[in-house]
Amino acid sequence: MAMRAAILRHIRLPARAQTLAAAAAAAPRSWDRSPLGGSRAMSSHGDDHLAKEEVAERVLSVVKSFPKVDPATVTPDVHFQNDLGLDSLDNVEIVMALEEEFKLEIPDLEADKIDSCHLAIEYIYNHPMAG
Amino acid sequence: MSAASAVSTAGYLARRAAQKERVRILYRRALKDTLNWAVHRHLFYQDASDLRERFEANKRVEDLDTIDRLIADAEASYNKWRHPDPYIVPWAPGGSKFTRNPTPPSGIEIIYDYGREDND
Repeated sequence: MAMRAAILRHIRLPARAQTLAAAAAAAPRSWDRSPLGGSRAMSSHGDDHLAKEEVAERVLSVVKSFPKVDPATVTPDVHFQNDLGLDSLDNVEIVMALEEEFKLEIPDLEADKIDSCHLAIEYIYNHPMAG
Repeated sequence: MSAASAVSTAGYLARRAAQKERVRILYRRALKDTLNWAVHRHLFYQDASDLRERFEANKRVEDLDTIDRLIADAEASYNKWRHPDPYIVPWAPGGSKFTRNPTPPSGIEIIYDYGREDND
């Protein structure tokens, strides 16, 4: 047993890669776009992540459509309260709008820290469930 | 500035910061709850604007103890009117897709050999 475990430890990675490649070559199926299966339609966990450009573009469009904001002044590294002349309650409203846009549920204490476009883009881009 | 007044200024600022954070989080929760209570989006806009006015009405209050009392009252009122069945994003705990996983793709299966392995 000990020897078997030692051998397995050494050949684990190459063997896995080989079987995956062999399986993909033998029978191309709908799920082998990614190792875990590309189409997991019923899954709560999406396997595809948003590109950073798309996140930035959608965050900016949300901020620009906020009624109290002049769309011309919005750039990716603008601070909501210092640069756009909003107050803290407007900040809360923007974060809530971003949550709805990306179908997220951000914990209160984390949402409270998001105060600029740059932070919002970073947070949403790194969030596994942003969609 | 004497040391005592510096300490009290720091204490004042710390207390103000804590109060501001409480108000922000209370507003956030109350706004979400407003959306939960509104059956349609166009009803939500008026309710949200009313909620905002209730917060704005006490914007200029200066006395710290009064502010604490106002926040406590508002939190009590929020807790009283909290929605019993709020909207939860599907993947989040309590959401409709939480821990609902699809069957694995065909070709990936469990072999029930009850702990025996091939070479044993």
